[in-house]
Amino acid sequence: MKVRTIKYIFNEGVKNVYKNRLMSLASISTITASLIIFGIFYLIIANINHNIMKLKEQPEMQVFCNPELDDMGVKLVQNALIRNSNIAEVTMVTKEEAFEKIKEMLDEDADLLEGLDSSFLPVSFIIKLKDIANSGEVVKELKKINGVDKVTYPQKTMEIISKFTNWIHVISIVLTAILLIISVFIISNTIKLTVFARRKEISIMKYIGATNWFIRWPFIVEGILIGFIGAAVSFVISGFFYNRIENRFTQELIQAGTDIITLLKFNEINLPMLVMFMFLGCTVGAFGSIISIRRYLKV
Amino acid sequence: MIEFIKVKKVYPNDVVALNNINVKINKGEFVFLVGQSGSGKSTFLKLILKEEDPTEGTIFVNGYEVSAMKRRDIPYLRRSIGVVFQDFRLLPDKTVYENVAFAMRITEALPKEIRRQVPMALGLVGLSRKANVFPNQLSGGEQQRVAVARAIVNNPSILIADEPTGNLDPETSWEIMKLLVDINNRGTTVVVATHEKSIVDSLKKRVICLDRGTIIRDQQKGTYENEGTHNKIYI
Repeated sequence: MKVRTIKYIFNEGVKNVYKNRLMSLASISTITASLIIFGIFYLIIANINHNIMKLKEQPEMQVFCNPELDDMGVKLVQNALIRNSNIAEVTMVTKEEAFEKIKEMLDEDADLLEGLDSSFLPVSFIIKLKDIANSGEVVKELKKINGVDKVTYPQKTMEIISKFTNWIHVISIVLTAILLIISVFIISNTIKLTVFARRKEISIMKYIGATNWFIRWPFIVEGILIGFIGAAVSFVISGFFYNRIENRFTQELIQAGTDIITLLKFNEINLPMLVMFMFLGCTVGAFGSIISIRRYLKV
Repeated sequence: MIEFIKVKKVYPNDVVALNNINVKINKGEFVFLVGQSGSGKSTFLKLILKEEDPTEGTIFVNGYEVSAMKRRDIPYLRRSIGVVFQDFRLLPDKTVYENVAFAMRITEALPKEIRRQVPMALGLVGLSRKANVFPNQLSGGEQQRVAVARAIVNNPSILIADEPTGNLDPETSWEIMKLLVDINNRGTTVVVATHEKSIVDSLKKRVICLDRGTIIRDQQKGTYENEGTHNKIYI
């Protein structure tokens, strides 16, 4: 295809969007709405994944000894832990330390502990793994050690969150697909109007020997342009609101003094999101126009 | 140039539009296609343009075997054939110049070529001064001239006209026919479907007469009606 033809095709496409501005606006709005909903799901999933990754980067386990275990037994457990080649670091939490921790946690209700001493609490070890991938195996090994009562690890939580994320994945894909299909039809209707208004011109073009692609391209450009604008608008809207939500949320977390959950900054995810929005918008637009012109090309 | 061999065309509603058509039109000929409405003239022209496919038989146009060609080659066939319609079929939102240039633009012609060819075509049909006027500001005859200019601007070897004077008064009809004869004199094969008895009779060109889908007469230097059968045709 020659440059001047591409120029012609592009000009015609842009002209069509402007000529049918009302219908174009309707199409742009549908695409925008669909992509915003897609964007919401995308952002939720991205944040969940981000937090799971963060959890995985803190491969901490806590091994609790039997409360009745004597000092000798504790020493043996400790030695067994240190000897384990999968473990990078072992920190002991004595009964007294555990008692202090509970006191701290209970805060004003610390008087509940009155009359009790630290003896009912187990000695525990906080261990860091060399490689999180082996965590399942290590847990099994640790449980076999004499005197070990319980091993806690964040794996369970992660599994539950992962399962939950999978569901969100499925729902978001289904919902987005439905919305995009609706968008295709609305766009195809818009383009159909243009095609209908220009059917005479199309038939003349066919008679004087225009190729189908020469006739088709301006309409495809029109569809892609509608999709492109829709993607841009929805990206700006999603970005704006996400930023506000993220700021608010982060501030509240800071006030609460915790960093268990953190939200991604928009600029950490905006690029893949923009690419996806543009891809979906343009594809939906192009597809919408291709199906609407098919009928009129049979001369 | 144009050859029909045992061509039959049956439409989906079982109407036999053409039956056993064998005809050859040579390069540079001027042919009138006559016959009553529904006799198959339009179908004949549609087959040349591959707007319709024959049910049986073979058609050659400009070296293409039209009856067997692929759909995506159709545009290239049509670029070698200029077409003029009864209802002009101009684009109302384009000027005279743009309408003619459009036929070149779709063939991806060079802008330089377009600037050279379009004024030439408009000059040939006598509309050089109206290049920047829109079609609805022109008379019927002038609009048909624009259509003729558009049909010839790509230098086609065949010009097809389907009742080109059907919407025009007798005087203007004559002007358009003379224009077609001029174009024929420059070497283009011209096929005109028409009802203009007086024009056909006085121009003394080849006449192919269709009746209910068959060729009942093919005459060099013919007339609209066969002498002596006058009453038969117009009962």
